[in-house]
Amino acid sequence: MAILEITDVSAGYGAGPDILQGLSLEVEEAQSYCIIGPNGAGKSTLLKVIAGLLHPRSGDVVFRGESLAHRRPDQVLATGVCFVPQDQALFPEMSVRENLIMGAYLLKDRALIKERLARVYEMFPILAERAGQDAGKMSGGQQQMLAMGRALMIDPILLMLDEPTLGLAPQIAQQIFSQVEQLKSMGLTVVIIEQNAQRGLELADWGVVLDLGIVRFEGPSEGILGDPRVRELYLGKAAGSGEKK
Amino acid sequence: MTNVIQVAILGLLLGGVYALMAAGLTLAFGVMRIVNLAHAAFIIASAYISFFAFDKLGIDPLLSVVFVMPIMFFFGIAVYQALFRRIEGSAKFGEMTVLLTFGIAIMVEGLLGFVFTGIYRKAQPGYANESFIVDGLFLPEGDILFIPKGQFFASLLSIVLLVGLWAFLRYSQTGYAIRATTQNRAAAEIVGVNVRRVSAISFGLSTALAGASGALMSYLFPFFPFRHWQWVAVLLALVVLGGMGSMKGAVIGALVLGVASSFVVDQIGPTWGPMTFYLALFLILLIRPQGLFGKEVPV
Ligand SMILES: Nc1ncnc2c1ncn2[C@@H]1O[C@H](COP(=O)(O)OP(=O)(O)OP(=O)(O)O)[C@@H](O)[C@H]1O
Ligand SMILES: [Mg+2]
Repeated sequence: MAILEITDVSAGYGAGPDILQGLSLEVEEAQSYCIIGPNGAGKSTLLKVIAGLLHPRSGDVVFRGESLAHRRPDQVLATGVCFVPQDQALFPEMSVRENLIMGAYLLKDRALIKERLARVYEMFPILAERAGQDAGKMSGGQQQMLAMGRALMIDPILLMLDEPTLGLAPQIAQQIFSQVEQLKSMGLTVVIIEQNAQRGLELADWGVVLDLGIVRFEGPSEGILGDPRVRELYLGKAAGSGEKK
Repeated sequence: MTNVIQVAILGLLLGGVYALMAAGLTLAFGVMRIVNLAHAAFIIASAYISFFAFDKLGIDPLLSVVFVMPIMFFFGIAVYQALFRRIEGSAKFGEMTVLLTFGIAIMVEGLLGFVFTGIYRKAQPGYANESFIVDGLFLPEGDILFIPKGQFFASLLSIVLLVGLWAFLRYSQTGYAIRATTQNRAAAEIVGVNVRRVSAISFGLSTALAGASGALMSYLFPFFPFRHWQWVAVLLALVVLGGMGSMKGAVIGALVLGVASSFVVDQIGPTWGPMTFYLALFLILLIRPQGLFGKEVPV
């Protein structure tokens, strides 16, 4: 059974055109998905719609039987859907610890918050080391780990990551990927947007190719990488380099 | 030397009150990017409440904060819900708030003028014209310092309120949410902060601080409806010096300019007091537009 069902969703910004144009997608529990596609395809927009940051103009987003289409972001988060946006996700003048505590903003139970904090520190020792430092003063990789750690504070069911390795050095990106692997093995449902299609698809169970606001192809990740049409259209040069144009 | 200390003390006492006034203005800007040109008009409106509470009911102006602050808090929330909420999503929010708050300022001024006329008011509680006298200590033989009681109490109350505000922002759940929204509105939304609710509360807090400032103004500075234009320029100088949106900056800006204007008044003359602020505003914008603690913004 799919835990997330996106049906015929159209969405856009302000009075602008539809960026998502009747997009449909199903996400199965405890599976991982990599979304690829050219710049401006609507990948980030899709995650924003799921997260409640942008409301669809038509169509529906149903998570575990509940429609999220017209919920506020805090209400969506409360259902267990957590989004880590592409950039500037942190509170730069708050310490690492305060940022993590903000991740548990919806929780009331202090003992639980402490427990989660300890778990995140265990997973990302660097965050424990830097607990008192201002988030804005950390390196790009550390900031990304903090953003992910903060998302885990709410113990989400579905975690959505928007280009978590963007602009990071290859070794650092590798670290982020292995953290995502670990989250997968913990049973989290993960949706990741990845510019480095090759690497992202290796990580995920399922590949989704987005273009012009709809899903063009989807299938098991190995299949996607092998599909000649996909290779030609979307992987091309980007496949190996992971560069953003 | 004694005179220098005397002038500095008076400046610091004034600075404490300015800090309270500026804190409200900078809070609204920090959280919502609203440059509230009506902040001083709200202060004057509150001063009228305190003035009449004293004049008609004999309630001490310092004590009146107990009801002026809640009244102004709910007034602020109502203003926010009625006027700002609907334009919050607009791409031209910044420009619209400037016009909107300018309009509110004119309306408040007109209303106050209509109801209370344009005559000068000033509450006269007993302590307003008394001073503590300090002698001995480190002072040369025979020298004394005056510490005006009214300004001393006002400063003390300002400090209490500012420390309270600081602790609230630092330790309470809502305080966390307000700071988070100030630093990164989108990220605050993502961690589940209801940013509209936080905006409404922040605007209410901002006007509540205007309320407390008004209570102090009611006996410290003679006021009449039109006066808010002079004050809004002073307040803008304070928050621009500190860096728009920075609470620490607003307090430091207020103390610095409080002392500076105090020396200008002493050395050059009282009419030059307000000029200190306008000149400071002009110089800051020329030399360091982001202020002491503000972040540089690409132009
Ligand atoms: N806040 C916004 N306001 C208006 N238009 C926007 C906004 N964000 C994105 N868009 C537009 O929506 C379209 C899709 O953007 P989106 O960010 O979803 O693409 P993407 O697939 O994530 O691309 P990228 O690989 O560059 O991140 C683009 O044409 C973009 O210009
Ligand atoms: Mg994107």
